Amino acid sequence: MLQCIFLLSDSGEVMLEKQLTGHRVDRSICDWFWDHVISQGDSFKSQPVIASPTHYLFQVVREGITFLACTQVEMPPLMGIEFLCRVSDVLSDYLGGLNEDVIKDNFVIVYELLDEMIDNGFPLTTEPNILREMIAPPNIVSKVLSVVTGNSSNVSDTLPGATGSCIPWRAADPKYANNEVYVDLVEEMDAVINRDGVLVKCEVYGEVRVNSHLSGLPDLTLSFANPSILDDVRFHPCVRFRPWESHQILSFVPPDGEFKLMSYRVKKLKSTPIYVKPQLSSDAGKCRVNVLVGIRNDHGKTIDSITLQFQLPPCILSADLTSNTGTVNILGNKTCSWSIGRIPKDKTPSLSGTLVLESELERLHVFPTFRVGFKIMGVALSGLQIDKLDLKTAPSRLYKGFRALTRAGEFEVRS
Amino acid sequence: MAPPAQSQRSQSPSQPSGKSEVSDLKLQLRQLAGSRAPGVDDSKRELFKKVISYMTIGIDVSSLFGEMVMCSATSDIVLKKMCYLYVGNYAKVNPDLALLTINFLQRDCHDEDPMIRGLALRSLCSLRVANLVEYLVGPLGSGLKDSNSYVRTVAVVGVLKLYHISASTCVDADFPSTLKHLMLNDPDTQIVANCLSALEEIWSAEASTSEEAAREREALISKPFIYYLLNRIKEFSEWAQCLVLELVTKYVPSDSSEIFDIMNLLEDRLQHANGAVVLATVKVFLQLTLSMTDVHQQVYERIKAPLLTLVSSGSPEQSYAVLSHLHLLVLRAPYVFSSDYKHFYCQYNEPSYVKRLKLEMLTAVANESNTYEIVTELCEYAANVDIPIARESIRAVGKIALQQYDVNAIVDRLLQFLEMEKDYVTAEALVLVKDLLRKYPQWSHDCIAVVGNISSKNVQEPKAKAALIWMLGEYSQDMQDAPYILESLVENWDEEHSAEVRLHLLTAVMKCFFKRPPETQSALGAALAAGIGDFHQDVHDRALFYYRILRYNVSVAEQVVNPPKQAVSVFADTQSSEIKDRIFDEFNSLSVLYQKPSYMFTDKEHRGPLEFADELGNLSIGEAAHNVISSQRVEENDKDLLLTTAEKEETRGSSNNGSVYAVPYDSSTSVFASQTQIESAISNPTTAGHSQHASFGIDDLLGLGMPAVPDVASPPQLKLNTKAALDPNAFQQKWRQLPVALSQELSLSPQGVASLTVPQALLRHMQSHSIHCIASGGQSPNFKFFFFAQKYEEPSNYLVECIINTTSAKAQVKIKADDQSTSQAFSSLFELALSKFGTP
Repeated sequence: MLQCIFLLSDSGEVMLEKQLTGHRVDRSICDWFWDHVISQGDSFKSQPVIASPTHYLFQVVREGITFLACTQVEMPPLMGIEFLCRVSDVLSDYLGGLNEDVIKDNFVIVYELLDEMIDNGFPLTTEPNILREMIAPPNIVSKVLSVVTGNSSNVSDTLPGATGSCIPWRAADPKYANNEVYVDLVEEMDAVINRDGVLVKCEVYGEVRVNSHLSGLPDLTLSFANPSILDDVRFHPCVRFRPWESHQILSFVPPDGEFKLMSYRVKKLKSTPIYVKPQLSSDAGKCRVNVLVGIRNDHGKTIDSITLQFQLPPCILSADLTSNTGTVNILGNKTCSWSIGRIPKDKTPSLSGTLVLESELERLHVFPTFRVGFKIMGVALSGLQIDKLDLKTAPSRLYKGFRALTRAGEFEVRS
Repeated sequence: MAPPAQSQRSQSPSQPSGKSEVSDLKLQLRQLAGSRAPGVDDSKRELFKKVISYMTIGIDVSSLFGEMVMCSATSDIVLKKMCYLYVGNYAKVNPDLALLTINFLQRDCHDEDPMIRGLALRSLCSLRVANLVEYLVGPLGSGLKDSNSYVRTVAVVGVLKLYHISASTCVDADFPSTLKHLMLNDPDTQIVANCLSALEEIWSAEASTSEEAAREREALISKPFIYYLLNRIKEFSEWAQCLVLELVTKYVPSDSSEIFDIMNLLEDRLQHANGAVVLATVKVFLQLTLSMTDVHQQVYERIKAPLLTLVSSGSPEQSYAVLSHLHLLVLRAPYVFSSDYKHFYCQYNEPSYVKRLKLEMLTAVANESNTYEIVTELCEYAANVDIPIARESIRAVGKIALQQYDVNAIVDRLLQFLEMEKDYVTAEALVLVKDLLRKYPQWSHDCIAVVGNISSKNVQEPKAKAALIWMLGEYSQDMQDAPYILESLVENWDEEHSAEVRLHLLTAVMKCFFKRPPETQSALGAALAAGIGDFHQDVHDRALFYYRILRYNVSVAEQVVNPPKQAVSVFADTQSSEIKDRIFDEFNSLSVLYQKPSYMFTDKEHRGPLEFADELGNLSIGEAAHNVISSQRVEENDKDLLLTTAEKEETRGSSNNGSVYAVPYDSSTSVFASQTQIESAISNPTTAGHSQHASFGIDDLLGLGMPAVPDVASPPQLKLNTKAALDPNAFQQKWRQLPVALSQELSLSPQGVASLTVPQALLRHMQSHSIHCIASGGQSPNFKFFFFAQKYEEPSNYLVECIINTTSAKAQVKIKADDQSTSQAFSSLFELALSKFGTP
């Protein structure tokens, strides 16, 4: 039971205040909170749940905006945190991104949204599809429309049909001339390679994203060729559990538009698509750096937008780094970023150079961690394959599309 | 209802004061109010936006109330919404003006658009002005019967809002039974859920006065109703599911087949995309199977994967909350997670609060099979850029070392840390090596060789320096140049700022002296001289004590300062298992995140979801601070009595006879007396406890003795009624209403502490002083009492909360009084009574 929600800018200014219950929360709590955050030093690293003298505070920071919720009673902590995360998701979805100006320009919409998302401190609906029907997003189309028609209200005249239906995620009966459904496998590979070059941990977190534009009340089934590799799955509320339990088939009535059908993990993968070999050797106040990047095993697909980022240790005075492929940038906060792009056929990309240490230091004791980014189109590295997608009562013209994509998630190479 | 004063305060100086802007707006609004010109809605909208944005940045725009209401006659729904927002914010400070809004809100409640009906009803209920409740009943009644489910949803929450404004109006209009009917019959699950949350609140609040409400509340967790909800659970929204699951945890199934049915039904909830649902389900599973040990273990296996996925796929904030819960589970079933330790490896750019929890997890899941990998991983963090995390990870290595039998690999690693030449790494490693040596003295040879190479000049942190000095003293026979290092440290006595280090230095020099007297003699002399001249009381006392005991008898001194030690087998745990169990009972609540049960951090009034009063919502921070302090105090006490941390062990271990060094020195006679007592205690260790008188003397000198006897010349004015009576309900009510008149800490006499083995002992004693007990509880060493007393021949009550900790011999007393002016007098009476406790 949340009592109040505040939105704070990155300078601690209250941008929005939404009282939820009769027990009004005084604004001074924000001052306390901000002092607390500052006293913690790094403002974006303080804990998500804090006890203030009068209230328990939940905070979620997104794009410099702090979503702060207050309560005085015991409540499930994830309910508070998860709700704030949803609020930020919905807002960034509505406003096309999050920042101070966008919130200030659209605070009326934010108030309207909060009004529908939570009442008397208890979350009502956070389903974007339903909210979208109650409150139109301030996009260009509706702006143009309002100029043309002269009707500038951004609230739809009708109530969402779904609030009354028993499938809360789907608006009743949309109609499409072209029936289309797209299924995307989007995977992120998390890997940790330790100082000795050993692959300590390698797993894939994947999502099945569906974009459906289907008339009526479509009933879909989606099956995989190799569902047994999935370690843990989580479903959108529309997925029926029994068919999955007995045959590993996803049977569902989809929401209209884009949504995340399921997420999964595949653990204990044995190899990564690329290798990164950093070598650092230091003596007499200097440190030689040499990093090699290459393709480990060929999936037949090109690996795109390879990047390498690392934080130079604070004890380094200057760095002189060059590469034979791509560009190297050293940013103001001592972050070095090397963007390689694709790996050329004829040579192995390498980065080399020297770092100069602070005068009293002989050798380097703090070693950077290299964060790797890449993208591979057309392949799901976990090996998951979609078998088929069926529609129970197929309309005459139905277009089905499938795609796959893998990119690096938390891919770290320690040196 | 932000009172003007408060909104002014929260305004930063750079913001416009808003005076002229507000009057400007007022003028413009007035012009627009009557206008029906085309496009007037757009200009109104601009103005409203300005008003709301002023309100948002904290400028008081309540003076525009009248104009805003006048402008509210519009069909534009956005304008309406802004107006509702404004009205909701200021109605409470302007109850008279709020009356103006009733009219248009009531009209909107009959609008043909269900959205407007709903919004108007919501705003109407959010005005929260007590003298307007009569206008609420009608619209609410028709709202509950509305054909549109959106309006009904709003109306149900409205009933709850009405209840909080005026409980009697709500009950008189028979709304609870209407809600009950809706809850059981409405096809829309959102309405069912809202009814459920409203009724739970209303009936729990009514239960104390009405038997029927208590029965209804019981009925909520009856089998038919729970089944009704469970069968429809998939139709509920995700948030409503959390509510239902919370209710299910309170349900007690009749047999095991029922338990399995419920678990089968809920199993797919573990796969839900919403983490709050998953965690609520986990709680249901754990609670249901508490009595079935085998199944309980299987449940751990079942919930493992979903929880781990939440950790690795959610936002850092979610990971944090889930990790806190996992940490609790791991302590109960470490082996379940021991093969999944890789999930707790830290990622480079995770926030440090997540990393810290992950490090705790890694230490908790470490066992024989995975120690090597975990320690390897932890050692990599030691070179982390994030220094606090680097420190924590070294500490984690140490903790694992202390809980494992096979420490070979770990000791090597720790010694490598010592050679890393990074000051903070060396510092942490030194502290660890010291702890390790206390548990595994057999490793001293390897460790001492490395420690000997560390120059004390490179160690600056007090803790690390103290550890190094302790090792120098303890192993001076093995370290070639120990006396000389100590000597150089003594020479720099004045530059040593930490009293802890100086204390350790004194003891270390003493120990060294017993082992290698000729080499250390000069250092010892210098150290004692410097110590006696030290401005720090403890250092001074210890030096003086060492000096005197050395003069008395050197061999006795050695027995005291450097007796043979036993290796520590188990370091005291930080939390008692009782507390852990309590936190476990409060799974899926804030308790888990704070790692303490709710009674330690919430006031009693706040614990139930519904019992807080309006005033509490407005408590200013300063006023409420003492609540927090007192809860901290409870915690500190708790730590004290559990003798938690390793440091505590350490100070005890290194000073050997901890209590002795605190002998006061100011009056020579008392020193003499205490010294002789110690001597006698030392010379006849077998009869150490022989003389009651002697030990009493020491206690007295240590400041634990009788509090100063209150001035006998002025007997307390206050007379108490010996036959006072107060029933528990009245007490509770008074306790909630009255402010704390006095809050203080009293000391207990040692005899009192000794006789306080059960709470009843104190009860009888206090009763003889006309102070009666209404409730008591606790076990040694922590007791809690609620006392009350009445003024003689006057119906004026005193209420007392008294928390006694027998280890520290302290009592935390909070006094509340009907008549505040006499609370001081009562307090001294209470103090007197308490101090006499234990004396015959």
